Amino acid sequence: MKAVAMSAIETEELTRRFGSSTAVDHLSFQVLEGEVFGLLGPNGAGKTTTVRMLSCLVLPSEGSARVGGYDIRRDSLKVRQIVGLLTENPSLYERLTACENLDFFAEAYGLSDLQEKRERIRELLEFFDLWERRSDKVATFSKGMKQKLAIARALVHKPPILCLDEPTSGLDPESAKAIRDLIERLSQHEKHTILLCTHRLEDAERLCSRVMIIRKGKTAFVGNPEELRDRMTGQPVLQVTLRKVNKKIIESVRKIKQVREVSVNKSACRLMITLDDAKSATPEVVRNVVYADGMILSVNAIRPSLEEAYLKMVKEE
Amino acid sequence: MKLRIHRVMLVFRKDWREVSRNWEVILPIVVIPFIFSILLPVVIVLIPNLADVPGINIGDLETMIRNLPSHVRDELGGMTDQQVLVYIMSLYFFAPFFLIIPLMASSVIASDSFAGEKERKTIEALLATPLSDSELFLGKILVSFIPSMIVTVISFLVYSTTVDVLSFTLFNGRLLLPNIVWVMLIFGLAPTVALAAIGLTVTISAKVKGFREAQQISAVLLIPILVLIFGQVSGAVIFGPVLIGAMIGIFAIVDLLIFHSGVELFKREEIMARLA
Repeated sequence: MKAVAMSAIETEELTRRFGSSTAVDHLSFQVLEGEVFGLLGPNGAGKTTTVRMLSCLVLPSEGSARVGGYDIRRDSLKVRQIVGLLTENPSLYERLTACENLDFFAEAYGLSDLQEKRERIRELLEFFDLWERRSDKVATFSKGMKQKLAIARALVHKPPILCLDEPTSGLDPESAKAIRDLIERLSQHEKHTILLCTHRLEDAERLCSRVMIIRKGKTAFVGNPEELRDRMTGQPVLQVTLRKVNKKIIESVRKIKQVREVSVNKSACRLMITLDDAKSATPEVVRNVVYADGMILSVNAIRPSLEEAYLKMVKEE
Repeated sequence: MKLRIHRVMLVFRKDWREVSRNWEVILPIVVIPFIFSILLPVVIVLIPNLADVPGINIGDLETMIRNLPSHVRDELGGMTDQQVLVYIMSLYFFAPFFLIIPLMASSVIASDSFAGEKERKTIEALLATPLSDSELFLGKILVSFIPSMIVTVISFLVYSTTVDVLSFTLFNGRLLLPNIVWVMLIFGLAPTVALAAIGLTVTISAKVKGFREAQQISAVLLIPILVLIFGQVSGAVIFGPVLIGAMIGIFAIVDLLIFHSGVELFKREEIMARLA
């Protein structure tokens, strides 16, 4: 029997108003245990306010939410205990050293055993290549190093739920990849639940099992990245590259019932075929091309990127 | 609301590490006590009188002497004018200044407590921790209170030594300080007054957006102490054991009220909402 995943985060009609403006407008969603859930949306969409409500930093004006089974209004201290938060700004004490920053937060989150605390801090600083700089004041760190230290802070108490606001921003490609690998590992092997706010669509595409797009505080879409692409751009386009393109081949493709459109790039010897159902029609396309004496070099189902789908979604009114 | 002392001290240690590495904060803590405990008494009273150069004379303190309690006036009976002047100035005139020392020494740290964290954008991570509101609030109070009281006590020791050394010959080997009034003032009244002022300043710091705003508002808290100074100089208020004892009792109650209302008013959700 397949185990049913429990909700790590559950919101119901979550709303936050600031004066007359509504930052988050009746958001309802669930994040399952061990899932990486992406919050996407343009600036000012309400992503950070949503994360702040779920981390008990801002009270909702309406609605409710449970994080790790705890109500964010009634059990705020318990929610804070089980959530690791990477804030929009690194939020580090610049006059303290890297070690002193982590030491303070480790103890604030209840890691009081000295040996355990030291080992955890060392483990994190070594992972993020900051061990050699452990005794340096944070003020002397680069933006990327501060970001890494802020992520280390969010992880210091091994929280089951992580809220990461733009974790790869300000990082060089190598460090950004290390963070993506870390998020993947935390989710897959250590079963952390991760709520990921990001502008980087490649991060969302690679890491998130589901994404939610917020627009003007409201849910515009919830689903996996594949569903988002399907919804915004329909079926993939079949790209067939041949040794030579001729009229006979083009006609043989056009007469297939499921083919909606065929565009030809003669110089590249390529056919771009729009189909009703790419999955079921592809074998027939290949067969017809071969019967028309076409020499196929490659067949690819071309999908629009998540970025294209996302941009289309956020521009939709 | 939970209050775990080791967590309060955690906030204190973190803040003190930051404060002790900031010379802009440390400088007034060191300079102000030096001015009040050494410079002012030496320049205004002790040197002019002991070295016989022009300074304050006995006529300037007539009202103050007239309003002194009878047992103190009796004590002055057998003294020379020079002795009376040094005695009154050292023991009575400068007493209220020692209430200013903890207030001024703590003013920068207390104003910076939450407002500084907001300005430096460190507040979000701090408020996201499971430290309770009262632990955060008390930790922030202590980081202003403990150093300012250490400075006050050191200033008192320095002042007593300065007065005793410089007046030793004038009073034929008699030590003027410490006496009961000063001990009650430094170890009873100064801490209770400082706690009240720091509690209010930290509460203000949590409410306003920036450090400067907090410091400007908290400067108003010096006014009652200045009233006491003018009261003492004019002879309207004279610090005696009974008055100091009563003031300690009143300020202890005020401290409790301020702490409770400060914690009640400290709403971390409101702080973040205001910053959003």
